[in-house]
Amino acid sequence: MKKIIDALPLVVFASLIIVLFSFLSDEDDQLETALIDSSFPDFNLGSLSDESRLLTKQDIIKLPALINVWATWCIACRVEHPFLMKLKEESRLTIYGLNYKDNKLKALDLLERDGNPFEFSIYDFEGRLAIDLGVYGAPETFFIDKNGLIRERHVGVIDERVWEEKFSKYLNE
Amino acid sequence: MKECGKKNFLNILMNKLILFLLFIICSLQVSVEEGQVNFDNEAYPFKSEIKESLFYSLLNELRCPKCQSSNLAGSNSPISNDLKREVYELVAEGKSSKQIKEHLVDRYGNFIIYNPPIEPATYALWFGPFILILLSVLVIILVRKRII
Repeated sequence: MKKIIDALPLVVFASLIIVLFSFLSDEDDQLETALIDSSFPDFNLGSLSDESRLLTKQDIIKLPALINVWATWCIACRVEHPFLMKLKEESRLTIYGLNYKDNKLKALDLLERDGNPFEFSIYDFEGRLAIDLGVYGAPETFFIDKNGLIRERHVGVIDERVWEEKFSKYLNE
Repeated sequence: MKECGKKNFLNILMNKLILFLLFIICSLQVSVEEGQVNFDNEAYPFKSEIKESLFYSLLNELRCPKCQSSNLAGSNSPISNDLKREVYELVAEGKSSKQIKEHLVDRYGNFIIYNPPIEPATYALWFGPFILILLSVLVIILVRKRII
């Protein structure tokens, strides 16, 4: 009995270290998503390619879909660009862009040069729809299921691994 | 001998003074880190003082989602400025502090407020310290009674 009690502080200390270390490896840039399983927020914003065209939630009709938050100032967005192009070619998924706090000309230029994976891009210069989506940085990607509900969200570059781990399962529903 | 005592006294006085100054400097640093930033009022004009003070107190209570260790008031990142505008508009519309916090929690989750609600996921956070205190009191009593 005495031996167990003597060892107790060491055991407690060791388990504390293990618990704290496990927190260290957590990806701390992923905040919880408050919007999971809620419907896509309403918005009223112009299109990136055509200023006179006003877009609303009703324009996102080809479901299921990805909504990708991107900008030309965001380097990681360029990293994931080829993957989005590939996704557009190879799957039946529609990708909508949310151009976030960006320079319109630079954005159009980039799509011209590197290809346009988006059905259309919503031009959100003031970051209003982004706030309603809980966006805090680009790139971010949301999955909208066939009923128009947000099912998954990823902050950071989306690639083959992230796609398989987080998103592909919703496509097969 | 007398001279020596005087010197000692001076030394002690100097030491105390230095300590005192260090203390002041440290406390100044703390208040800067708390991010109580005052803005020039022209960026966010208000018609009533009540709304204005609500706005600034909310900026101190809400957390910047990008910088994470800073509040909205202490951050100048683009997302913080967008959120300041959002809070400004909601305050101007006449929304209450509770309504504005709910509005932002609906979008950013509990992360955005520094004061987490009491729910199963936060029980350890809220009640853990009290359990630890109880445990330590128990251990102290047991040790004093020489049971352990």
